[in-house]
Amino acid sequence: MNQADVTKLISQLRIAVRPSQRNLKNSDGPEGRLLKLRKTVTALMKHERIELYYNRADEARGYAELVRIISNGYNISSLHSIPIPKQLISNAIRHGDRHKATMELADYWLLEKQLVHKLFKVLVPRYENYNVSYTRMYRAPRDYPGMYYRQSVLELRGNPYPSLVMDQSHNRNLLHNVLLDEARKEFRRKKLADLVN
Amino acid sequence: MSRATKLHKASWCALSQLQQYRTKSNFSTSIASRNELFAQEQRRQRDAVGRIDKIEVRYLGLPEDVTLVMNNHISTPFNCAQHLSEGHCRRTALALIDGSVPWDMHRPLQESCTLQLLNFNVSEPHVVNKAFWRTCSFMLGAALTRAFKTEANLQLHSFPGPNIKSGSFIHDIVLETQNWQPSKSEMRAISAEMIRLAAQDLRIERLDVQQEIAQEIFKDSKYKSEQLPSIAQQNNGRVSLYRLGDHIDISRGPMVASTHFLGKCTVSAAHKLAEEGSAGAFYRIQGVALPCGFKLSHVAYGLLEERSQKLNPARLPHEPFEEQQQLQLS
Repeated sequence: MNQADVTKLISQLRIAVRPSQRNLKNSDGPEGRLLKLRKTVTALMKHERIELYYNRADEARGYAELVRIISNGYNISSLHSIPIPKQLISNAIRHGDRHKATMELADYWLLEKQLVHKLFKVLVPRYENYNVSYTRMYRAPRDYPGMYYRQSVLELRGNPYPSLVMDQSHNRNLLHNVLLDEARKEFRRKKLADLVN
Repeated sequence: MSRATKLHKASWCALSQLQQYRTKSNFSTSIASRNELFAQEQRRQRDAVGRIDKIEVRYLGLPEDVTLVMNNHISTPFNCAQHLSEGHCRRTALALIDGSVPWDMHRPLQESCTLQLLNFNVSEPHVVNKAFWRTCSFMLGAALTRAFKTEANLQLHSFPGPNIKSGSFIHDIVLETQNWQPSKSEMRAISAEMIRLAAQDLRIERLDVQQEIAQEIFKDSKYKSEQLPSIAQQNNGRVSLYRLGDHIDISRGPMVASTHFLGKCTVSAAHKLAEEGSAGAFYRIQGVALPCGFKLSHVAYGLLEERSQKLNPARLPHEPFEEQQQLQLS
């Protein structure tokens, strides 16, 4: 009846997440897992692009995403009663830096406290109008010979580094661009001919 | 390992590959004899090298410029890439000798030279694109040979030189029917055959032979044996042949290293060009393709597909023969 729409209370992730968590093998159990993830999320916020094992990256990614949802001022009073979602960025964007729960969340996930400022002053403005995920993940080659674990690169979108994927849209000589350009020319010729007749 | 053992291994591989194809119902004896002749000539040329001379190949490019000492008339650009990394072997579609001559990846080097390895993403990819388009036409021939039953009496005629701007690669064939109107699912079956070829990751080998041997190889193909004299005449009595799996065709080349470079591919249209003889007709099969790793949205690719259905303006096969050959050799 007058219940709030639950889907609007919690930020929606823009990435696919596994239904079950990975335990990230360590001697300290669940706490150790969280510490590992906090370290990763902190490093991601700090360096904006990190290379690490695939499992850990994929696990940390979801938490980092929601960190950012936190910081946009949004209907704060109604949200005090609900449990804090775990994700950092999306929450940061959603509630802004005047929201106590969000601040606590940022304080928990970012081990280096100067990054809290970065989160609200740099990352939140950057991602305010994004309609895609805030992080991006690539598979990376693994060392040979070396550990068998799959490697990956995790990065924040809009980072200042050169892109990791090849830019295939600007070189007009690439095969698909040649084909598309010719198709466009032919279309224009046809339009012009139609106009003349 | 002695050379004899190596050769034995190579021919054993070829044989097992052949046996694989033999299981197919439409594998004819003429294809088998063609392949046998091709392999024989390949072996003969390899044996004729005799004493092995060393050449210096100066490789220019990433990760660093190096000089490789290779075997004359034996080592290929692919062997040079093997010295660099697996990635080079996998990615390189075509080699560039002395900064200007495009060279097949699996064609032995003839003298000391500089070497560049090209892929589809280099800043000036005209040569690679052209080679890719030519390879697509060649592969289309192979796909058609596999797709048609023997009752259809398919004869490959030729494929004109690659023209990417026309929007489609083509292969001209002769069929024993004058009113073939392929349905959508039939075209899709041929496209699937192309994709299957790409998935098999077949090496594309080149062999330069004397005209007599080429005549012997194509003795049961009416059109090819008609074309051979004029091709050989323009090329000092030699003809360059290409082989992909069990499919052999004449082409000036160069072609890309392997079939796995074919990514998205659609065989889009078959146009009847002219009647041939009492019951047959020329058909022009057209298609469009992108190299693997090129991403294009469905809408954009749909536009390309649509455009590739229009009849390609390249020289028609039933027009005077010499001019046609000029085009094929371009």
